Amino acid sequence: MNNSIKSLLAVLFGLLAGALLMAVTGHNPVEGYKFLIQGGLKSPERIGNTLATATPLILTGLSVAFAFRTGLFNIGAAGQMLFGGFCATAVGLSVDLPRALLLTLMVLAGFIGGALWALIPGILKARYNVHEVVSTIMMNWTAYWTVYYVIPGYFKGESLETESRQLPPEAMLHASWLSDMFQGSYINLGFFIGVVAVLVVAFLINKTTLGYELKAVGFNRHSAEYAGIAVKRSIVLSMFIAGGIAGLAGVAQYAGNASSLQIGVLPSQGFDGIAVALLGANAPLGVMVSALFFGVLYSGRGFMNAMTEIPPEIADSIIAIIIYFAATSILIERLFRKWKVRKSRAPHSAANKKQGEREHVDNA
Amino acid sequence: MKKGVLSLISLALSVTMLAGCGGKPASEPTGGAGSDAPKANFKVGMVTDAGTIDDKSFNQGTYEGIVKANKDFNMEYKYLKPAGTTEADYSKEIGNLYDAGFKFIVTPGFKFETAVHKAQEKYKDAKFVLIDGSPRPNPDADPELKENTVAIYFAEQESGFLAGVATALHVKDGQAGFIGGMKIPPVQKFNWGFQQGVKYANESLGTKVTINKENVVYQGTFDDVAAGSQLAAQMYDRGVNVIFAAAGGVGVGAINEAKTRVQNGNDVWVVGVDVDQYQDGVYEGDKSVILTSAVKKIDQAAYDMIKAETEGKFPGGQTITLDAKNDGVGLPAENPNLSEDILKQVDEVFNKIKAGEITVAAEQGDLIE
Repeated sequence: MNNSIKSLLAVLFGLLAGALLMAVTGHNPVEGYKFLIQGGLKSPERIGNTLATATPLILTGLSVAFAFRTGLFNIGAAGQMLFGGFCATAVGLSVDLPRALLLTLMVLAGFIGGALWALIPGILKARYNVHEVVSTIMMNWTAYWTVYYVIPGYFKGESLETESRQLPPEAMLHASWLSDMFQGSYINLGFFIGVVAVLVVAFLINKTTLGYELKAVGFNRHSAEYAGIAVKRSIVLSMFIAGGIAGLAGVAQYAGNASSLQIGVLPSQGFDGIAVALLGANAPLGVMVSALFFGVLYSGRGFMNAMTEIPPEIADSIIAIIIYFAATSILIERLFRKWKVRKSRAPHSAANKKQGEREHVDNA
Repeated sequence: MKKGVLSLISLALSVTMLAGCGGKPASEPTGGAGSDAPKANFKVGMVTDAGTIDDKSFNQGTYEGIVKANKDFNMEYKYLKPAGTTEADYSKEIGNLYDAGFKFIVTPGFKFETAVHKAQEKYKDAKFVLIDGSPRPNPDADPELKENTVAIYFAEQESGFLAGVATALHVKDGQAGFIGGMKIPPVQKFNWGFQQGVKYANESLGTKVTINKENVVYQGTFDDVAAGSQLAAQMYDRGVNVIFAAAGGVGVGAINEAKTRVQNGNDVWVVGVDVDQYQDGVYEGDKSVILTSAVKKIDQAAYDMIKAETEGKFPGGQTITLDAKNDGVGLPAENPNLSEDILKQVDEVFNKIKAGEITVAAEQGDLIE
């Protein structure tokens, strides 16, 4: 069954369940969805905001998807994003350079910061077989507390204890032509970082030897090893790149969508990235599309709440339900196969019974 | 097998979610409050700060003021909860309210300062009430108030002072502590006022209550309930009798810890903040661990501004400070845990602050943090 059909089904089921939820609570689902979509796309400003909201999601989704291709479950995108954003913010606040150079340096710092944060779980996995789910989660909290300590200590704002100083305008990803084009939206150059990252990763995964090797490790570690692929190196490299991409999400978030780094917050985009990757079937373009879809949901939600009596929690529930279906797409696939088996069995049931049973066993 | 369990769990979750939603009244009480008053010709919107609408503190106080105003003036109202706490998140929700026709927008919390600064320029025909802050181009700049915005501040130190006096009078001989949320001016002013209040009682009313340096802590967030419990436990272990918790959800943790201890027979208390938190501290029947609360009449602020708007007297462009003089701060009307005698003495102090005989400093001076 085609991956994009699976994802579309997950979205469809999610939206249906959301509609049901709205109907059960006494609201008009058609109206709800109308305003949800209008809220995300009604005006150039709203479209810009949707793209800006989607930007960190594109990058964290890409990070999770990339690691997943090598068979690694990177739950640490939040921490990598935070630390990447922190490194970029630190550079932006302490280095004085011409704008183009400074922004390049910040993007680099963000990538390396995130990459380092994922490198450690990568090495632990490759050398000692420490499960990356555990170590990346722990790295999340290490990043959280590191930032919690360092920001107030060295980059504190004048009046606020819990935020870094504001980045100077030349250290931010805002571009006036871009916000003018989208009529005052907070969209920024971060979006292009996202697009470029998608293209680069798509090329890397599909067209290069390295991508082939990483995928081979993901499919079957042992056969990859047998084929002479350096499995350990691939694991470390995959985590490094995945972390770097998540770090870029931090740059887009903290130097683009926001202008300072708040302590005590683990960015929710890191975890949403898992959902984005799942829904995008771990393919770069899929991630891009699903991140944009989440962007519409997230930024349209407020308008739906403002225009209708639907409580804000419903929009969150819809998102959650879609994630359920995306995550359990394997169930959808199974149902689909069962249905297919039954269908093919119906005309000549006796003859095909044996084969049907065998397929059954395969499915289980 | 595992997948079966997983899908079962997700099913169970979605069912409970559905049930939870079904239990709610079908529509939020917007507009039709059943009163006969003519409908006001403006819609009131509110954007919540970090935390939920029922945070028992800032968001809730503001919202209650709006609900109360609705009873009298029968206008449409609505609150939106932003996805995060960045300026972009806030601006987005302000824009949503505006586009939906809510042109009287109340924002509780200093974090809205930059968002409201942009919004007052962008939406010239809308009106903004910023509670606990003043619009600024960036957090460190001077305030810039436009004609369509009112900035409201509270004299938290006076409220904290009264709570400090009441605490000292109740404990008489012992220790008090303070747990703050983020280290921001309103919370700090509560703390400094509280310390001055305790000191005043020690000097003038014959109590012997100490506040040690290690028992004055800012947790750093407003939502870490577990951390609040831990901090409170440490303080109570060090012999503290009363903790003043100006910390939102962190304070809820402190209250929980106090409940546990009181049920185990210890004599410990919490002083609530922002709103009368008595109900939150109830552990048995109507007995509560909340000694009293240092109240900021946030609801009153929201109510007054809406009232002013209905009368066409919206004080746009002004900065308003609510203090003891205009009854904007103080202790709750009911204090079941304080004796008549203590209440009388606190009242005297309150009147002295009103009359200007006692001035409570809003700066740290030689106080603890």
